[in-house]
Amino acid sequence: MALLAQYVVGGLAVGSLYALVALGIVLLYRTSRILNFAHGDLATFGTFIAFALISAAHWPFAAASAGSLLATALVGAAFFFLVIRPAKEATLLGKIVITLGLALILQGATAVFWGTDTKTMPFPLSDTKVYRLGEVVISQISLGSFAVGLVLMAGLYVLVQRTRVGLAMRAVSQDTVAAQVLGIPVRQIFALTWGLASALGAAAGILLAPVTLLDPYMMLDPFLKGFAAAVLGGIDSMPGAAVGGLLLGMLEALFGAYVSVKFKTTLAFLIIIAVLVVRPEGLLGREYKRRV
Amino acid sequence: MRTATRIGVLVAVLVLAATVSVGVSQERGVTDTEIVIGSSQPLSGPAAFWGQGVGGGMDAYLKWINDAGGINGRKIRLVLRDDGYLPTRAVANVRELVERERVFAIVSLIGSANAFAARDYIIENQVLWITPTADANMWAGFKNKKYLFVGYPGYVDEGRILTTYAAKNEGVKSVAVFYQNDLYGQKGLLGIKRGIADTKIKLAAAVSYEGPDRDFSAHAVKLRQSGADAVILYATPTQGALIVREMAKIGFSPKLFASFTLADPVMFQLAGDAWNGIILTAYFPVPGTDPKVDAMLDTLLKINPQLRQSPFNALAGVSFLEPFVEAIRRAGPNVTRDSVVRALESMRNWNGEVIRGITFSPQRHQGLNRIYIIKSENRQYKKLTDWIEYPVGY
Repeated sequence: MALLAQYVVGGLAVGSLYALVALGIVLLYRTSRILNFAHGDLATFGTFIAFALISAAHWPFAAASAGSLLATALVGAAFFFLVIRPAKEATLLGKIVITLGLALILQGATAVFWGTDTKTMPFPLSDTKVYRLGEVVISQISLGSFAVGLVLMAGLYVLVQRTRVGLAMRAVSQDTVAAQVLGIPVRQIFALTWGLASALGAAAGILLAPVTLLDPYMMLDPFLKGFAAAVLGGIDSMPGAAVGGLLLGMLEALFGAYVSVKFKTTLAFLIIIAVLVVRPEGLLGREYKRRV
Repeated sequence: MRTATRIGVLVAVLVLAATVSVGVSQERGVTDTEIVIGSSQPLSGPAAFWGQGVGGGMDAYLKWINDAGGINGRKIRLVLRDDGYLPTRAVANVRELVERERVFAIVSLIGSANAFAARDYIIENQVLWITPTADANMWAGFKNKKYLFVGYPGYVDEGRILTTYAAKNEGVKSVAVFYQNDLYGQKGLLGIKRGIADTKIKLAAAVSYEGPDRDFSAHAVKLRQSGADAVILYATPTQGALIVREMAKIGFSPKLFASFTLADPVMFQLAGDAWNGIILTAYFPVPGTDPKVDAMLDTLLKINPQLRQSPFNALAGVSFLEPFVEAIRRAGPNVTRDSVVRALESMRNWNGEVIRGITFSPQRHQGLNRIYIIKSENRQYKKLTDWIEYPVGY
């Protein structure tokens, strides 16, 4: 029982980070219907900015994180204004391909600026200091990043569901033309969504850095997992993304523990296929039904 | 118009003449002033430390050789390609090196799976291949090794020796293995199993991971749950560091052992204090134990100070090149594949600045058959045993 609990704790800790990645993907998809393949690389870029601010400019961790979120948000918003908006005649698929291009550019830029070797991110929490609840062990760092992940998710929920800006975002996502007619500044809302989603990615990257270590390809695996989590939870549902992420982290840990650790990585893809076959809208999504 | 035609004809003749004179020159990749060699390394990805250490070491060493005038008037130029530790890219790189860059030889090429993927192409095209940085045992029983020379240990031999040492000298009773699920990790695991069979200790668990894996929480719990008192790592630097951190996170601190592939002090930075006291093997005198090696390391660091992070891998890069450079020296002015092969096959217990005890002959292309055990303490190496020999396989 204690062993099961240990696997679940490990799974939830990493699952909360998948959830953050998934939320960024879903947030943007809901508003613009664009699947942003650059999400992982935006996150990596943001994480490296935090790393540079800490190690080269000697900023304190909190300030560096804030600076990184802001900078990544600006990059995301700039990408919308400079590339996605001018390409408004492009099909959705075309726009998705454009995000692939951005992914390659960001990956290259990260490699050029900071090199391709692995780095360690200075982190204010210790990963060797552990707490014991009975026989279950959890490290300070896992606990801390889990808590921060939950706070970010809650904050995002409040923003989208309880504020005027959130209302505008939801309106734009439901019907862009109607929203425009009603006087909502659609362009700014799109840019804000891009910025917010990118900042969310950077936050996920910073929290993931102690787990994955830091290199230009660090988000490759977490991005795929976040994507799987988004599909699992419902790609247009924010609570779905959160639930999907936590569930995927837990399922992976349990699958690795009791079925096969060799095929643990494959599980995420099996889940994508299974969800698309059995329940294409995902656990909490509505998209599929509405469009039919 | 006529002048233009004349100039055209003149240019055409010159170009033709140039082509002919290139065609006349003796050997692919060799001119009167230069020898071109190539290598494919993981300069990015989870094994980037290996590629940057080894590639950087090779590059610095050749600069040192070339600055001193080269070998018999020829400079050696290294063309380095990044494969991100992916076998498919390694194969593409090797093709490009041979067909477009027209290299005389391939030196190193990191990764057992990568070397395995590229070997058919290299062997079929009769490219001289010096010390693939890959499990040396996998070439035994493989035909057509005329142009293949290996001055690197095998992971099967290493795994066996490491496990035997753990059982006999460190009082280890049960072992868990964390290994990469490819040729590198599997060969290491095979060696460990042989050592376990020899010493009658227990294999508590063998936990594998795949290339892109980064989340090892379940792996760590599995290792802890096995009840092993020692964990042996056959992993890349990134993933080796991650599992050690993950084990520390759940309060598990077994005795650690690892392949020499993880010997670099940068591991302290990646893995933290849990790395202290890890026991590894080595196949050349490690820095701090040998004046010639220390002098070579100083030379490398003067040329490229960044190699300070990975002295072991930088010196490994030198150790791969040394027998080749010596063979070119012995071959004299007439450098061809066959003259270099003859020179290599004349080496008996040959010592370089870094690599020691290399023996090749027409019957023997596994040039190295000994390693020893070291301990890594506070970024310093301590020698624990003398050379331990293993049988020559080919």
